[in-house]
Amino acid sequence: MFELINTLLIGITAGSIYSLMAISVVLVWRSTRVVNFAAGGLALASSFVGAAILEKTGSFWIALPIAMVAGAVFSAFIEYFFLRPLLKRSGDKGAEIFLPIIATLGLLGIIKTILNYIYGDRVGSLPPPMSDKGFVFSGESIALSPMRLLILGIVLLLMISLTLVFQRTNLGLSLRAASFAPEISRLAGIRVDFIRTVGWAISGGVGATAGILQTTNGSGSVSPESFEFSLLLVFGFVAAVIGGIESLIGAVLGGLTLGIILAIILMYVGGSLVFIAAFLILILVLLLRPHGIIGAKGGRRA
Amino acid sequence: MIRTTRRKLLVASAVMAATALSLSVMPAQAISLRAAEVGVTSTEIKLGITLPMKGSASFGYNQLPGAMKAYFDYVNANGGVNGRKISLVVKDDGYLPKQAILNTQDLIAKNKVMAVIGALGTANNKAVASAVNLGRRGIPSLFINTGFSGFNDRKAFPTSSTLLPSYIMEAKMISKYVKETYPGKKTCLLYQDDDFGDDALVGFDKTHGDLDFAVKVAYPSLSQGVAGVPDSWITKFKAGGCEVQIVFGVASATLYTVLAAAKVQYAPKWILGSVGADIPSINPATVPYIIGSTSVSFMPSVVDPKDEYIAQFKEINTKYNVGAKFNSWALIGMNTAFIAVQALKAAGKNPTRKSLLDAIDASGSKFPNAALVPLNYSKTSNVGLNGYWFGTFNKTGDLVPNDTFTYTVYTTDSGTGPVEKSSYSRPAMPAKGLPN
Amino acid sequence: MHKRHVTNKHRFIGFVLIGLLVYILSNTVDEWKSFQGATIAVYVVAIASIILLTGYSGQISLGHGALLAIGAYTAALTQIYLHLPVWICFVAAVLITSLFGAILGLAAARLTGPYLAGTTLALAVGLPSIANQFSFLGGEQGISFDAGWPPLSFGEAFTQYKWFFWITSLTALIMMWWIQNLLRSRYGRTWRAVKTNEVAAELSGIRLARSKVLAFTVSAGIAGMAGALLATTINNVSPSAFPLALSFSLATGAILSGVNTLGGVMIGAVALVAIPEIASLVADRWSGSESVPSLLPDFIVSVLLILTVFLAPKGPIEKFRSRHVK
Repeated sequence: MFELINTLLIGITAGSIYSLMAISVVLVWRSTRVVNFAAGGLALASSFVGAAILEKTGSFWIALPIAMVAGAVFSAFIEYFFLRPLLKRSGDKGAEIFLPIIATLGLLGIIKTILNYIYGDRVGSLPPPMSDKGFVFSGESIALSPMRLLILGIVLLLMISLTLVFQRTNLGLSLRAASFAPEISRLAGIRVDFIRTVGWAISGGVGATAGILQTTNGSGSVSPESFEFSLLLVFGFVAAVIGGIESLIGAVLGGLTLGIILAIILMYVGGSLVFIAAFLILILVLLLRPHGIIGAKGGRRA
Repeated sequence: MIRTTRRKLLVASAVMAATALSLSVMPAQAISLRAAEVGVTSTEIKLGITLPMKGSASFGYNQLPGAMKAYFDYVNANGGVNGRKISLVVKDDGYLPKQAILNTQDLIAKNKVMAVIGALGTANNKAVASAVNLGRRGIPSLFINTGFSGFNDRKAFPTSSTLLPSYIMEAKMISKYVKETYPGKKTCLLYQDDDFGDDALVGFDKTHGDLDFAVKVAYPSLSQGVAGVPDSWITKFKAGGCEVQIVFGVASATLYTVLAAAKVQYAPKWILGSVGADIPSINPATVPYIIGSTSVSFMPSVVDPKDEYIAQFKEINTKYNVGAKFNSWALIGMNTAFIAVQALKAAGKNPTRKSLLDAIDASGSKFPNAALVPLNYSKTSNVGLNGYWFGTFNKTGDLVPNDTFTYTVYTTDSGTGPVEKSSYSRPAMPAKGLPN
Repeated sequence: MHKRHVTNKHRFIGFVLIGLLVYILSNTVDEWKSFQGATIAVYVVAIASIILLTGYSGQISLGHGALLAIGAYTAALTQIYLHLPVWICFVAAVLITSLFGAILGLAAARLTGPYLAGTTLALAVGLPSIANQFSFLGGEQGISFDAGWPPLSFGEAFTQYKWFFWITSLTALIMMWWIQNLLRSRYGRTWRAVKTNEVAAELSGIRLARSKVLAFTVSAGIAGMAGALLATTINNVSPSAFPLALSFSLATGAILSGVNTLGGVMIGAVALVAIPEIASLVADRWSGSESVPSLLPDFIVSVLLILTVFLAPKGPIEKFRSRHVK
C-alpha cells in the first residue's frame, strides 16, 4: 500500500513539474503558433542563473524570482530578435510550422553550446531550500516532504495566477485575441507584437520555474548535458500535446497524467519502457481525441 | 523549364559532391613513407582513448585521460620510450556504444593511433570489438576499463585486454563479505540492465557467490535511462525491508541512488560496487550520506601515507596535471599509463601492434604497478587484475581499509573457484616511477 | 531560359555519371574519407525520406530516427535469425519499416501540426529504448550487422570502408532514381496538390487520408533503407545509434538541403558530415581550450540552421533559382 501511495506521490510531483513545462510550451504556441523547443534550453539557462544567485546570496527565495525574470528576459529576447522577424517573413501563415520548429531547435543548440562553453564539466548547485526528508506515517517515511509540498504549492500558485490573468484581466484578453485573430486584434487597437512578446516572456518565466523545481526535486545539481532537462523538455512537450496544446488546464491534466502513469510503469513494469509508454499514452489520447484532452473541436484548417 | 532546372540541380549536386569530397581529400598527406607501424614514427607513439567526458555518465571517469596524459608527459620529459614521445588522443563518447564505435573508427582511420588504451564501458567495448573488427584487423585495445568476464575469450577478442577484476569476481567476493558480515540480513541489489549487470548476477547466483536478494532492481543504462527518477527504486527497496543494500552501478547511478535514499531516510548498510563507488570525487555535498559505507578496491588507498606508488604518482599529478585533485580516478589513470609504458618498452626498439600484443602476453604479468593484486596477462588470458580489498569511506570521503592501512586482499576466479586471501606481494616500484 | 526537353534517358545518364564519380573517388581517397563518403550516402537516403514526407506531402516528422531504427533492427535481425543474404536484409528493412510507416501514417493522417510533431517526437525518444527491455534486441551494446568483407578478388588493399562506400552509394543512387521517378508520377503530383491546398485537392477528387498514409508509408520505407545502410557503416545496431539528436540532425539536413526540393539533398548530407570535420580543423588550430573542438560542430550546425531559416527558408537551391528567374 505504501508502495502504491509513494508511487502516486512521486508521479504527482514529477507530473506537476512537467505541467509547468507544458504550460510554457502552450503559452508560446498560443501567442505565436510556434512549437518552442528552445524552451528546454531557456529553462536550463535560467536554472544556471538561479544556481549562481543562490551561490551569491544563499537564498532560494531570491534566486527563484531572479531566475524567473531571467527566463522571461531570455524568452522575450528570442521572440523579439529571432521569431518575430522569421514569422514576418513567412507571412504569418500558421501552416508552415516546420520552419519555426527548426529555428527553435537551432536556438536550443546554440544555448546548449554556450552553456557548455561557460560551464564545461562544472555543475550549478540547487539544493532544496526546505527539508526533502519525507513525512513519517506510522513509522514509514513517505515520498512526500516539505520540499515536495512546496513544489506542488508553487505549481498551484502559478497555475491559479495564470488562469486569473488570462480570464480576468485586459492583458489576458489581449493575449487570447492576439493569438486567435491577429488581424482583427490589430484593428481593435491591440498591440499584437508587444502582446506576443509578453506571451513569450511569461512562458520563459514559467519554464525557468520548471527548470529550477526539476533540479531541486532531482539531483540538486544542474549541468549543461543534464539528463533531467532532456526529460523535462520531452515530457513537457508531450504533456502539452496530450492536453491539446491550446489549453492551460489541458497542459496540467496532460502533465499529471503523464507523471502518474510513468511513475506506475517505472515502479511496476520496468524503466526501459517509460519512453515508449509516453508515446503510447500520447497516441492513444490523440486517436480518441485528435486535438488532445482539451483541444479545439474540429480541425482548424490552415 | 522546370525539368531543365531539375537536371541542372542533379548536375549541380554531383559537382558539389565531387568538389566537397576532393577538397576534403587534399589535406590528407600523400601516402607518406610508411613507418614501421601505424601510429609509430621515429619521434612519436600515438595512442587513443574513447570514454564519456561530458554528461552525467562521465562523473569521475572524465578524470582518467588527464592523469594518463600527466604520466605520459612525465615519461616524455624523461626521455620518452626509446626516444619516442607518447601522445594520447582523447574522444568523448558520452557512454554511448554507437559513439564509441565511431570514435574508435576515427582513432584508427583518421588519427591513426597505434593502439587504443583504457577505453571505458562494457557495452561500448563489446560493440566496438565486434563492429570495428579490432581482432581481425590486428588493432590492440588494451587495458579496457571494464570487468566484463565475456572479454576473457581470446578467440573472440584476440587483441583486447581488460584491466579491472571481472564483475563475477567482485560479486563473488561481495557475496562472501555480506554472508560473513551481515548473516541473515535482508539484502537487496541495484544493477545495470546490460552485460555489466548480467555479469554481476552470474557472480551472485547459486553456483558462484550464492547470495539471495529480497529485492532486485535493474536500471536502464544511461543512453535511454531514467537516472533522474530513482525514487521508485528506493521505494521498492524500502517496501522490501532491505537491511543491506548493494549498488552495482556506474558512478552517476550510485550518486542518484544515495541522494534519493536520503530523502526518504532509507538507511541500510550500503555496499557500493567498485565501478561507481568513488562518489566523493563527484560532489562533496553528497559525502555525508555515504560516510561509513563499504566498497572494494584493488588499488592502495589514495590517502595511504606509506605507499611508494601513491607518493610518486601524487608528485607527478601535482606537476603535470595542474589543478586536478589526486583521487582514485587519477590513480587508475596514471597506473594504466604506467603499465602502457612498460608494455611499449617491452615491445622492442621499433614496436609494432603485434610486438606490443606479444610483449603483454609474454611479460604482462610481471609489470610492476600500484595494484595490490597481480596482472594475469598471458598467452591464454587477457584479463588483468583479479582481486579486491574491502574498506569503508572515511570522513574525508576516501576509501580506507582501516586506520593502519593494512590491506586484506582477496582473490578468486570468474568460475566457481573459492574466494581466498591473496598471497601476492607487489614488486617494488622502479626508481622515480620510470620503468627501465 | 531556353527550353530543352529532358528525358528519362538524360537523367539516367546523370545518375550513371554520379556513380562513376563515386567510383573514381573511392579509388583515390583513403580509408577515413571512404567512411565519410559512406556516411554521406546514408544521409542522402535519410534526408530524401524526410523531404518526400515534409516537402512534398506536407507532413512533419521529428521522429525519423525511430524509422531508421526499425530498418536497422529489421536488417540485423533478418541476418542473425534467418541467415539471409545482405541484400534481402535490406529489402526486409524497407518492407517492415513501410508496414510500420503505414500504421503510423494511419494515425498521422488524422493529426496536424504540433500534434504530429509531438507524436513523432515521442516515438523517436521511445522506440529505441525498447531494445533494453527485450533481450533478443541485444540491449545497450546492440546487435551486430555485418555487410561482409569485400570479396578477396578485389585484393588486400581494398578496405572494408571502401566496400561500405560502394554498397551505400550504389543503394543511395538506386533509391534516389526511384524516388525522383515516383515524385514525377501521379502520386508525387497528388502529394503536392494536398500540400498546397488540402481543401482544393479534396474537391478535385483526391482522397486526402489515403494520399497522406501512402506518403508516410513510402517515406518510412526509404527511412528503413537508410537505417539498414547506417547499420552497415557502423556494423552494429544499438539504441544509442538512434537518439533524438539523430532525428533532429536529419531535420536539420533536410532544411539545409531545402525541404521542398529533392535536388539539394546532397547539400544537407555533405554539410552534416563536413561540418564536424571543418570544426575540428578550426578548433585544432585554436587549441586554447579543450572544450572547443567538441562544441564547435554543434554550434556551427545550429547557427547554420538559423541562417538557413532566415535567408533561404526554401533551401539554398530555390534561393539560387529564384534569384536567376527574377
